[in-house]
Amino acid sequence: MVKDNLYKQPIKDKRSIFASTLFMGLGQLLYQKQYIKGAFYALVELAVLLNINTIISKIAGLITLGEARPDLPISQRPNSLFYLIDGIIFSIIVIAFIILYISNINDAIKTQRRYELTGYLPDTKRFLSSLGDTSFAAVGLSPIMLMLVFFVLMPLIFSALIAFTNYSSPSNIPPAKTVDWVGFDTFRSIANQELWAGAFVRTVIWTLLWATLSTTTSYVGGMLMAMALLNRNIKFPKFFRTIFVLPYAIPSMISLMVWRNLLNGTFGPINMLLKQMGIISENIPWLSDITMARISALTVNLWLGFPYFMMLITGILTSISPELYEAAEIDGASKFMQFKKITVPLMLYQTIPLFIMSFSFNLNNFGAVYFLTGGGPTDIASTQSGAGGTDILMTWMYKLTVDLRQYNKAAVLAILVFLVIAPFAIYNYSRTKAFKDGEL
Amino acid sequence: MVHKKDFMFYLRTVVLYIVLFIVVLLVLYPILFTLSSAFSDKTSLSQSSPIPFSDPLSTKQFENLFAKTEYLKWYGNTFKIAVMNTIISTVCTTVAAYIFSRFKFRVKKGLLMGMLVLQIFPSFAGMIAVYVLLWRINLLDTHFGLVLIYAAGQLPYNIWLIKGYLDTIPRSLDEAARVDGASYLRTFISVVLPIAKPMVLFLAITSFTGPWMDYIMPRILISTTSKKTLAVGLFEMIKDRANNNFTMFAAGAILVAIPFMIVFAFNQQYLSQVLSAGAVKE
Repeated sequence: MVKDNLYKQPIKDKRSIFASTLFMGLGQLLYQKQYIKGAFYALVELAVLLNINTIISKIAGLITLGEARPDLPISQRPNSLFYLIDGIIFSIIVIAFIILYISNINDAIKTQRRYELTGYLPDTKRFLSSLGDTSFAAVGLSPIMLMLVFFVLMPLIFSALIAFTNYSSPSNIPPAKTVDWVGFDTFRSIANQELWAGAFVRTVIWTLLWATLSTTTSYVGGMLMAMALLNRNIKFPKFFRTIFVLPYAIPSMISLMVWRNLLNGTFGPINMLLKQMGIISENIPWLSDITMARISALTVNLWLGFPYFMMLITGILTSISPELYEAAEIDGASKFMQFKKITVPLMLYQTIPLFIMSFSFNLNNFGAVYFLTGGGPTDIASTQSGAGGTDILMTWMYKLTVDLRQYNKAAVLAILVFLVIAPFAIYNYSRTKAFKDGEL
Repeated sequence: MVHKKDFMFYLRTVVLYIVLFIVVLLVLYPILFTLSSAFSDKTSLSQSSPIPFSDPLSTKQFENLFAKTEYLKWYGNTFKIAVMNTIISTVCTTVAAYIFSRFKFRVKKGLLMGMLVLQIFPSFAGMIAVYVLLWRINLLDTHFGLVLIYAAGQLPYNIWLIKGYLDTIPRSLDEAARVDGASYLRTFISVVLPIAKPMVLFLAITSFTGPWMDYIMPRILISTTSKKTLAVGLFEMIKDRANNNFTMFAAGAILVAIPFMIVFAFNQQYLSQVLSAGAVKE
């Protein structure tokens, strides 16, 4: 009841609220005897006012990104990237300040309401004791949250903004040259130039195909091996299982680099072996023909990926109650019907979330492509755009950044990749135990 | 009739065994070939025999690896980075998860939702920005800068993971400690952490193994040869088309893979716990 009244009651004496609106903390200090809180608010505003020149110039820098000064030596020229990053930091500070300012006004209103309702102002002692709990949380969390803002949030904002600049080789690489805002030009140039649009469409299609096929083959491969090893006629299932789990225990980066050499078209031992056995007479271009390279990448990924699903599905299959099968047997169901009506539904139900998780992992599986094929093979168009025959969006972005220094195009891709994977990611997290059970 | 059924049964089992043995061969061949290359006296791929262990054995590759490359230095660097990352990640994550799990404060919901959104973005999306950021604060080409990026990048996911685990631990346990006069910090260290040990251990292991296999960040952020990490150093050995260093690479590769397989064997119980946490609850 009291709480309801607190919000309905109109405020009679508005002086403290005006004062707090005028200058942070003033109302709390002058009229409400909230000295500690008021002093904190006032000091924050004072600090901002004292540094107002820096703040304005940094935010202005975010808009201009620095003037080109070819007359100066390179080390003294304005670095557009620093303007951008400082601008983002100071924008975050300004937004935090605005939020604090609003909370200051709300605080003044709340205190005033309580005073008019009860006739008492919360005293300093009470305020301090209420701070006890919050202060441990605040002291513990603030360094961690600062780290997140600085090293996780800010880079994302920075990358997103780069998509709207001309930050790219050869003519806009700081510190020698400046970077400017160009709006949606980079998006347009990717969409309009045949070379880039073609590379983009091909890469997106292959990325989706790759994620679908690589996850499905690993799942089916793992499932078949799990079922084969649960067959009662197979002796020593443990021996087989230990060997089959090896690809999962070895760091995948190492395995991929080994496979890159095994599949080498000219000197690779696999071609040599096949020739010695008389199966082939010509070398198979495992990694240098586009279709062959895609098949090789999927096969190697199957080698890497089936143990995970094998372990998972073995666990699920052994946990299915044998009574289910016995009952089906009595009802006269054939082995195939039992598999179709009992095994498959139970298995799918439990593994679909992990299948989707694995799918979204494969969408961005940098290593499986880059260490094996390097994104190749390349053709004339792809030497310019950087996108080779097996490049997925992720490896293409990496090449645009590191090899071609087309940072703005890489940033556009990052935004597009995000739009593709966000739905999967949101699905993943919405079904995690932490999200479902945990109170926010 | 019975005779035919028996025959079909044996045929099926034999076919199954043949398939299993082919898979065994396919799984083992790359591993055996790498092992034999590491102990071979040949230098390049083209000279090596495709049949494992048919070349004379030697330790030449390991001698070359230590003499001609800075392999030991890279190993040390990666170890250092992994240890630093483990410490920073574990401390930050557990403290934050404890606060999010046990305290009530005004911005809690907002922060948790914010972290949920942050972890949707893959870490490489900020690839370019991270380079400029470390350049700005003069931490480019340092291991500490790399560790900061690793530790911060894993925070959102890990905090959610550990918070979820702590939520399942009854509050009455740490409230009892509070009533007995223990401070929050003391309660956290001597009551909450010991109960959450399996999850914290899992967190420590994943933060330790992560940096060994990451290629992108060290490739972008570290430029001095002696400061490189293993992933970058190893890949550069075999990157060119001539494949002249495969046997030396193989020696370096097994020195990384063996400790990893040992960790995997020990880690398997935690792994199965976490794997099953991902599956739908019955």
